[in-house]
Amino acid sequence: MTTDISRRAFLQRASALAISGAASPLAINLAAMAEASAANASDYKAIVCVFLYGGNDYANTLVPYDAASYNSYYSLRPNLAYQRSALSGTVLSTASAPVDVNGVAHQYALAPELAPLLPIFNAGKMGVLLNVGTLVQPTTKLQFTNKSVPLPSKLFSHNDQQSEWQSSMPEGATTGWGGTLGDLFASGNGNATFTCVNVSGNAVFLAGRQAVQYQVSTNGSVPFAALQKPLFGSATCSNALQTLMTQAQPNLMQSDYARITQRAIAANDVLTSALGSSTSLTTPYPANNNLADQLKMVARMIAAAPALGAKRQVFFVSMGGFDTHDGLVTVHPGLMKTVAEAMAAFYQSTVELGVSNQVTTFTASDFGRTLSGNNDGSDHGWGSMHFMLGGAVKGARYYGTAPVVATNGPDDVGQGRLLPTTSIAQYAATLGSWMGVSNSDLLTMLPSLANFNASSRNLGFL
Amino acid sequence: MPTPTANAAARFLAQASMGASRAEIARVQALGYAGWIDAQLAAPRSGTRWDWLIEKGFNGATFRNSEQGFDACAWRKLITAPDTLRQRVTLALSEICVVAISGLVGAPWRNFSAAAYLDLLEDHAFGNYRNLLGAISTSAPMGQYLTFRGNVKQNPTTGALPDENYAREVMQLFSIGLIQLNTDGTAKLSNGNPQETYGLNDITGLARVFTGWDFDLTGTSRDTPDFLRRPMLQVASRHETGASTFLGSTVPAGLSGADALKAALDIIYAHPNVAPFISRQLIQRLVTSNPSPAYVGRVAAVFNNDGRGVKGNLAAVIKTLLLDPEARNDSYVTPSYGKLREPMLRLVGWARAYNVGSASDAWAIGNTSDAATRLGQSPLRSPTVFNFYRPGYIPPNSAMGKLGLAAPEFQLTNESSVVGYVNFMQRLISKGIGDVIADYSSLLPLATNSQNLLAEINQVLAAGQLGSSTLGLIKGAIDTMPATTPAALNNRVYAALTMVMAAPEYLVQQ
Repeated sequence: MTTDISRRAFLQRASALAISGAASPLAINLAAMAEASAANASDYKAIVCVFLYGGNDYANTLVPYDAASYNSYYSLRPNLAYQRSALSGTVLSTASAPVDVNGVAHQYALAPELAPLLPIFNAGKMGVLLNVGTLVQPTTKLQFTNKSVPLPSKLFSHNDQQSEWQSSMPEGATTGWGGTLGDLFASGNGNATFTCVNVSGNAVFLAGRQAVQYQVSTNGSVPFAALQKPLFGSATCSNALQTLMTQAQPNLMQSDYARITQRAIAANDVLTSALGSSTSLTTPYPANNNLADQLKMVARMIAAAPALGAKRQVFFVSMGGFDTHDGLVTVHPGLMKTVAEAMAAFYQSTVELGVSNQVTTFTASDFGRTLSGNNDGSDHGWGSMHFMLGGAVKGARYYGTAPVVATNGPDDVGQGRLLPTTSIAQYAATLGSWMGVSNSDLLTMLPSLANFNASSRNLGFL
Repeated sequence: MPTPTANAAARFLAQASMGASRAEIARVQALGYAGWIDAQLAAPRSGTRWDWLIEKGFNGATFRNSEQGFDACAWRKLITAPDTLRQRVTLALSEICVVAISGLVGAPWRNFSAAAYLDLLEDHAFGNYRNLLGAISTSAPMGQYLTFRGNVKQNPTTGALPDENYAREVMQLFSIGLIQLNTDGTAKLSNGNPQETYGLNDITGLARVFTGWDFDLTGTSRDTPDFLRRPMLQVASRHETGASTFLGSTVPAGLSGADALKAALDIIYAHPNVAPFISRQLIQRLVTSNPSPAYVGRVAAVFNNDGRGVKGNLAAVIKTLLLDPEARNDSYVTPSYGKLREPMLRLVGWARAYNVGSASDAWAIGNTSDAATRLGQSPLRSPTVFNFYRPGYIPPNSAMGKLGLAAPEFQLTNESSVVGYVNFMQRLISKGIGDVIADYSSLLPLATNSQNLLAEINQVLAAGQLGSSTLGLIKGAIDTMPATTPAALNNRVYAALTMVMAAPEYLVQQ
């Protein structure tokens, strides 16, 4: 850990602000934390969330490969299962095998289409997190069945579980943990605008209390044509246009809209110049791969980070199409190929830029899916398997607990829907800690983290 | 009732139509709000998208595996159909009961399938919501999109269970939602907590009903698109005949697939959530993002009973929500009232105001989904079944968000899309797209007098919402432009339109 927020400085700062009465307690808290964090972050670090919208099918992503588990997998989804022989080229070999709750060791293979990630795993730069999902607290199957502990609300619902992953709350949340990281680190960045960057649209993940996500297209920021060239020949009209688009209004939505336009104009000037003056990438990226286009833009922004004065950044990219109720065998392999080619190219470009140890990429998704299929697809589940990539990742190994491959088994809450044994809060805390967030601030950032044993809060993959 | 002012009529049309025009404003003033609605409810339906696709030859073999023709037929109707209220309600329904063309898989003729779905929504726009639910639940496009076309019963050999996709979304999105509601749309609380409407067992129970449905290819084949507008057929051998229990009720064993579906939808439709859940979303699509509980309650009451004992009478619901004091009375217009106009409606509003046409009838506007270069939204092209935006979306880091208020359309609003929209409209206003061009004959005679020009645009496009300060700013700029040649007059019109359509006072419909 490179930074350790000084509790004493934090309290002194907080009391000074409280006396001045200048801000709400929460704002004080965050301002103080941000100041303390910024004080120590002299190096560069970034995390990149790759969100797979729709709920990725875990069983055909990380496929059970040891004979007993494979046989269970095959018997539960014969119409959907990979042949075991097709997996022999992507078996993950690790120094020690992950064990399930019964103490039985497991072996896994990547989906064959994830082959581009295998060399990265083997080089120790990629780890696998087993059975992670939304949880309020550690939860046993009996507790789930009896509803005797609080559970995440609206389980199995796409929009709400996306929101739970990103913000620890169902739909309607206005801050996510990526945005909270932004709150902590924005003031240490030369230009706070580029702290939380989304290349795919709007996501609550990147919204902080102060930090605002900046949306950039895969080609960079979009300039207003009328501000590049006089509007229908009139520079006066261009100026008037800029004024009227950005001035505050009594109506709240009008003002909210104007603020976004202000940011777009201000950011475009800075970003265009920074991208233009930064190293261009030579790493080849796959064509016709929108996720790769997004990640390439992230790599270009990382290359521009010195020009932007960025020390800590949180990026978000995404891809849809994972809601494979139907046609799983036809569709899912293509999704895996797209993800793997994009993520592998992105990793290579961080190597090219010399920042591979400073950039950690991780996957996320609404939920896992059922293990036993419907006729030609799988349905909404809960726990799932995810990947962490980067030079700082202690890779070529598994984290978390291997689920027993069975319906009605100890990890199953119905048709092979996994009851998660690791929570998003632990996943997020491990990433946050690496970025330099103190243990106490992690508890503020992730409300449910306190419900997990202190020794288990950091999963140790970084 | 006094004659509405032109601004009031234009404001009404922003809620009730695809956009105002001088002629439509005059009609509202002549008929009054209720009279205009009655005339629209009685208006004949404009021709179907399907028939237009056929007329233009899109059923030719070369279009079998394409989307060609769909965007054109959708835009054409949005821009030109005289039954403007029906078009507006159809668009609203397409954002509640969502299907998107990209998900119309498993069969050729994606263009026709999408057209058939919009035509079907339009069939029921002024009909009964229960009938609409029945129609979409057997429609081929919905069967494709939410993957229950081809669903089979439980397979004891493989252990495969019925696909749960439609069972889940028909309840979460098209009928009752996730939490128990009071009739005014607020959450029913128990010990201070919202109560979920259903659990996993309800989904697996209901999923059994949506089995056995498949395309009706009787007497036809996939070589023509006809099967896509026929209701799907039941294949008895694939239908789960055991009992299905969900929402505390049971569809008994042994029913035919069609009877089981009817029984299941009756159970869902009887849920007290349906009226507030659907009413509130219709208000959000037409009038305002944060209707008061009292407003939702008044509309939901009519949804539950139209006065003649009928539940789900959409014509009555639409009329009620548009005539409600909270929609009509200026005293309700607070700083958080109204809604961000969705990008599609901005384009269509401009097009209707200035008689946009396509001389070749090709309507080559295309897919406008790209946020960086176009609108970030396009008809029947939502990225998922959760629509372009969620009804409960609260924009982070916003003045609305600080008050906990929703602003769904802001889910599409970001640093790329705000620019992409203005750039796209600037081009469209001045050059059109293909042969889709405007007729500015109503504006050009005003172009030498910027005050009159802006007053006209402000009234028709923005219901007079641009304040004097903004108008003064634009007027000052236009006044510096030459006005001596036809080209110069055109530039004045283009610049005025671009500035008005970029103004936040226009963008938020109050």
